[in-house]
Amino acid sequence: MTRATDDVIIKTVSRIFTPFIQIFALYVIMHGHHSPGGGFQGGVILGASFILLVITQGLDRTRRRFSQKLGTIFCSVGLLIYSGIGILCLILGGNYLDYGKLNKILPVIAAEARSLGILGIEIGVGIGVMAVMYSIFSDIVTGGE
Amino acid sequence: MEKFFLGIGIGLCFLVLLCLYRGIFGPTVLNRLAGISAIGTKTLVILLLMGFIYDRVDMFMDISMVYAILNFIGTLAVAKYLETKGEV
Amino acid sequence: MEVTLLVHATDQAFEIIENARRQAVELLNSTVGLAAEEQRWLEEKRIRALFTGAQAVKTRRLNFLGTFFILFFVWCILSGHFDAFHLSLGVICCGLVAHMSHDLLFANVRFVDMRTIAKRFIAYIPWLLGQIILANIHVAGLALNPKMPIDPKIIRFKTKLESDVSWVTLANSITLTPGTITVDIKEGEFFVHALSKKVARDLLSGEMEDRVAHIYMEADHIYIQDVLDMAHIYGLFRGIGG
Repeated sequence: MTRATDDVIIKTVSRIFTPFIQIFALYVIMHGHHSPGGGFQGGVILGASFILLVITQGLDRTRRRFSQKLGTIFCSVGLLIYSGIGILCLILGGNYLDYGKLNKILPVIAAEARSLGILGIEIGVGIGVMAVMYSIFSDIVTGGE
Repeated sequence: MEKFFLGIGIGLCFLVLLCLYRGIFGPTVLNRLAGISAIGTKTLVILLLMGFIYDRVDMFMDISMVYAILNFIGTLAVAKYLETKGEV
Repeated sequence: MEVTLLVHATDQAFEIIENARRQAVELLNSTVGLAAEEQRWLEEKRIRALFTGAQAVKTRRLNFLGTFFILFFVWCILSGHFDAFHLSLGVICCGLVAHMSHDLLFANVRFVDMRTIAKRFIAYIPWLLGQIILANIHVAGLALNPKMPIDPKIIRFKTKLESDVSWVTLANSITLTPGTITVDIKEGEFFVHALSKKVARDLLSGEMEDRVAHIYMEADHIYIQDVLDMAHIYGLFRGIGG
């Protein structure tokens, strides 16, 4: 399942669609407060776009674009952003993930600090989910190497 | 206008049942894959019609676009897997 | 007899040492050859990079900017908000996606004039919709007929289009019109499954292919040999006229 397809139609359509799928995934992450979506859903779509690249262009070319080491780093970075914001709120004197206390650092009112805090959490979750999906898929498909 | 969309939606659900016949009784796996992919296309349209009925088109538009993307990628992935397994 | 054995043993020992020496010499020669070949290859790569470096950088930048603007347009359509916060988020996201995938959208662009091609593509879509409606009516008539006069065949035809984007446009247009499905494309030859004689005749008349070639400005070459053939006659006319 790691070989590239030899079908012209699938190769061309996939490579033209991938940037649009990725921008749609980022739209779903960023507009979680306004329309259905959020961190996890956007992360799944972003991971699915990389899986599409693996299926149609082969694992080698996709590894050159997004290596395994980068996948592992992104897993950890996503988790770091998520718990980092939570612990930051803890340090600033509130409960864990109490975003209202973020207005001590950022020059905004408490309600807007909550909105920005949630946005940060969504971004962290999205990055983490994308990296985990890509890593699990390439592990299963190569049989564990 | 809502009754018109509701009628079309019910007609499409009936067509989904027809495709489901191929999805259940298809002699080979590829027949089932084609049936489920066709059901996915109709599901998109049904979701949009529901958006018109409940008068929240923007919300249902996002959901149907997500489902279109996942249907495409899912069909490709299953077809690729069947090709490597030797069924094709 | 012990002397003969000793002589044999010494001979064989000498043979083994000779073989070993020859193999060592060969190994040294091959590594020297490899080192020389690698040097030559590095030299070639450097010269090639010198000539294509600036062009590649310019194409990369143009690809990046083109992808960025198209993605920003799509972002503005998707997100209805146009305040500074969402637009700045849009700029960051489009920049990120354009950096990750800018070489995917415009991979092997051989077209020089993207604006004409975009305009012609937008003008092609209403004609395609008309064809879809006509073919829909014909296939519905076939399906509702109690005799169902279908004649399914797979048609092969060679196409005059050259680039993969025009192949994909033609294949998708054929699949979108009911009655015909593109089954495969192998080295510029299309395999199309057609439902009845009328749709097969419409397909083989080549109108769709001509229109797609008109979009991407292909298959309108001037062949050099024809020019050279005509030049001789043209020269004769010039001789008479001038």
